This record gives sequence, structure tokens and C-alpha cells, in this order.
Amino acid sequence: MGLEFESDKQFRDAMDLVFRLMDEDPDMGPKLRDADVPQRFEFEDVDMVLNVRSSRQGEPGNLHWEWTDDVDWEPKVKMKMSAETAVRYFQGKENIPIAIARRRIKTGGDVKASLALIPITKPVYAIYRDALEERYPHLVV
Amino acid sequence: MRPEPPDIPAPAEPISTVEAARRVGVAPSTLRRWVEQDLFTDGPVDGQWPPTAIAHARIVARLRDRGHSLQEIRTATHEGRLAFGYVEELLPDTTGVYTLREAARRTGLAPKLIERIFAAVGFPTGSADSLSEFDMEMLEHISAVLGAGFPLMALMQLIRVYGQSVAQVADAEVRLFHLYVHEPLLREGVPGIEMAEQMNDLTARLLPLASPVMDHVHRRFLHHFVEQDIVGHMESDLGTAGAELGRLRVAIGFADLAGYTQLTEQQGDLEAAGVVERFVANVADTLPEDARIVKTIGDEVMVVSTDPAALTDWAVGFQTLVSGTTLPRIGVHAGEVVYRDGDYYGREVNLASRVAARAGAGEVLVTRAIVEASGRHLAFEYIGEVKLKGFDEVTELFLAGLPEE
Repeated sequence: MGLEFESDKQFRDAMDLVFRLMDEDPDMGPKLRDADVPQRFEFEDVDMVLNVRSSRQGEPGNLHWEWTDDVDWEPKVKMKMSAETAVRYFQGKENIPIAIARRRIKTGGDVKASLALIPITKPVYAIYRDALEERYPHLVV
Repeated sequence: MRPEPPDIPAPAEPISTVEAARRVGVAPSTLRRWVEQDLFTDGPVDGQWPPTAIAHARIVARLRDRGHSLQEIRTATHEGRLAFGYVEELLPDTTGVYTLREAARRTGLAPKLIERIFAAVGFPTGSADSLSEFDMEMLEHISAVLGAGFPLMALMQLIRVYGQSVAQVADAEVRLFHLYVHEPLLREGVPGIEMAEQMNDLTARLLPLASPVMDHVHRRFLHHFVEQDIVGHMESDLGTAGAELGRLRVAIGFADLAGYTQLTEQQGDLEAAGVVERFVANVADTLPEDARIVKTIGDEVMVVSTDPAALTDWAVGFQTLVSGTTLPRIGVHAGEVVYRDGDYYGREVNLASRVAARAGAGEVLVTRAIVEASGRHLAFEYIGEVKLKGFDEVTELFLAGLPEE
């Protein structure tokens, strides 16, 4: 059975949570900032868009993200997926090449740049599952 | 572009025998005797001592202080052991104290079997004639495993895998230590004694780490593969029913970098090695859970999976994620293979390798066995019946990819 979100807001909170975990992690945060790969995530079924980039000089943290397309930067990598695929992916339950082949993730832009992010973001899987267990246990896969 | 060669300090001025003796802390006559006794591979020329010879003389002096004979030092020098001789002091004593007959009596293993075990591990011929306490412990463990009912045929394979893997680890440790510790110290012209002390200190810190790290990595992988084996029994698309003992049905993938030889020519060995390292890391980082890298040979990676559909999907998805001038070419096939000594053998493995060799840069070529096991979300373009090198029969080949939107 698929994941069920109580509301769109809950999905958004669950995504904010994972990006906050990566942003604040002393290892992942700086690495993602240095990788400097602006990404656009489109969650088709809930009709939401998230744009994320490295923090700029003077901005707090390592990552900056906004839930809109109205941003002053261009994404390098574009990914379309369902809300469920997104939450599964950040728990390490969605293999990116397989998800691309099976059309669960549709890609655009310089998708090759995302390959470098895979090993950097792997540590978030376990941390994210723990955090979900605490706040939204029904979203743990 | 070829990488710049490392900075090598200019050779220092040669030094007279008297000055060399003063620096080493021995009499000039002693130094001359050591030269006559052939204790140097790079000794003085016309009475002038290069710094390396002085460093070596210091080590000789130290060894003499510790009671080593000139004969021992000469042998060690000419065998090239001297630079690493200090490591042996940190390793446990493996001097043989038991005869083969005594070992057989104590462990309950037949002398012939002990010899077979030593050969399987990869120990030199004749090493089972004289066994240390550590050898005895190993044999007692083996005897206990056999006594518990583990088949000898399987155990011998396991022992061979242990031997090959651990030999590779030890070889890598020594080579990497030599390349990244010993060589830089030599290039810096660090005096022999200081170098020996630095290396001794570093080795003493590293050695106790090796066993716990290997133990932990072994346990982590055991956990992973036990889970995978259980799941594989439940879910295998191919199944092993009907396969003979020691044979498995698996999907086999080979991937290498098209244009790798040209890349090596253009950019040099080190740059090309870096490209291969990133390629292998990318494969390892993205493989599905039920697949694993069996081995890498140069720029080629061999992958095996119990799920042919997942492996093919991975291959197609992976090609969309890679970039650069050297794109991978991937071949995937499925069939019954022989599993022996931790590796996979047989006609189907050879066929998979040949299929990969036919692929072009950025392509995934597959056989009919893969097309039939794969989902409809992929597009398979029929290439035709192809005569692959070394095979009498033709093989149907297909180009796998994402369907057009």
C-alpha cells in the first residue's frame, strides 16, 4: 500500500524536514553547498514545486530552498516525481537509475550533475527515517 | 594534459668517508669494511658518499647495535627487505614450532588436508612442514567448522577466497604504505633513522586498526548478503530450482569505459586511473540492492544480480546519469552460471562479456533472456543475430533504452 499524506502541508513539512536535515548536517551541508547544483523538484500529484540551491555569501546555512518557481536562479537539474517517490527516495528506498528507467522520476536539465549528489546525500537516509519515525511514523517505508 | 611530475629535491653534494662515518657514528674503517662486505646496493663512488648511502649506513649501524650479523644485513639489503624490516618487529612471531604430523594429531585433520588448506590459502609450498601457534589456531577453527558439518568442497572454496582477499588487502597495505609514506620520505631526503622511526610509529598505529576494521566490514557485508540471500530465495525472478549444485541463475552485467585506452594515451595513467575510480564509484553508489560488483579489471566492472529486470533498468538509468568523453558501454545477459571461489564462471558469463564488448559508448546491449525478463517500460531495439567472438551459435542482440515520450 502506498504512503498516505494527511494533507499537502504534511508532505511539504516532510520535505522541509529532509532539506533541513541535509542543510544542518556538518558533513552533508558543506558538501552540498560546495557541489553547487541548483535543483528543481516538481511533485506532480500534489502540484508543488521546490527549488533548492547553495546558500549565497552572507546567507545562513548551507542550502536555501523555496516552494515556488518564482526564484532568481536557474535550476541545473530538474526532477519530476510523485510526493510518495520523493519521501521514499530520501529514505533510501528509491534507486535513482531504476526510478528513471521505470519513469517514477522524470529528469531534465543537466541530469548528469545529480550523479555527484548521490553519495553526498546517502547519509541522510537513516537520519531522515529516524526523524520521520518521531514525527510522521506512517511515512516511514 | 599529463599531470606535473612531483617535485624531487636536487641531489645533495657527496660526502667523504670520514664525514660520512662521523654522521653515522662509527669509525671510517667500519664504513669501509661494510662496503667491502657488500652491505650497500647504492654505496659510495670514488670515496664519495651520497646521502642515501649514509641513511642506509645508519640503519646498518642500528641493526648491528641490535645484534644482527653482517650476513643477515647483506641478505636483507639485497632482498630489498631492509626498508620494511621494521614492520616485522611489529608482527606476531610466526616461527614454526609444530611439525605437520603434530598439527594433524592436534587438529584431527589429515596431513594431506592440511597441505591442501595451506595451498588453498596461498601460503608458499612447504610452509605446512613447520607450523606456528597461529597456524594451529587457524587449523583448529577449520577442523571445528568441518566437524559441524560444513561441506569440505564449500569450505575449500571459502578458504581460497579468504586467502585471495586477505592477500590483496595485505599487498595493498604494503604497496600504499610504500607509495604514499616511504617514497615521499625518500624524496624529501629524510635521514634513514628518522624515516625508519616515522614509519615505525605510523605502522604501529595502523596495524592495530586493520583487524577491527576488517572484522567490522566483514560483519556488515555478512549482514547485507544474508538478507539478500533470504530475499533472493523468496523473490528471485530466475529461481534456482532445477539448477545443479554449485550453479546459480543470475543476471550478469559488464560495463567498461569506451575510449579508455585513448584517454590513457591523451591524459596519462594517473588521470585515466582517476576516471576509472570515479566510474567504479558511480556504479557502486547506484547499483540496486540485489546487485553487487563481483570484480573490476582495469576499467571493466562485472556486476551480478538475482533480478535481471532491475539490473537492466539500472543499466539504462545509469547511462542517462553519466557524462564525459569516456561513456560506459554496458552488456547484460542472464543464465545459469557456476559459482566457485567467490566468482562466477561459465558460458553465460563469457557471453555477457562479449555482449558488452559489442556495445557502443553510452549503449546498453542485452540478449533475449533479458528482454523476456524485463518490463514494458523499456524499449528494446532489435539489432539482429550476431556471431560473437568465441561462440559457434549466433546470439540475438537488442539495444535497451527509454521509450520516446
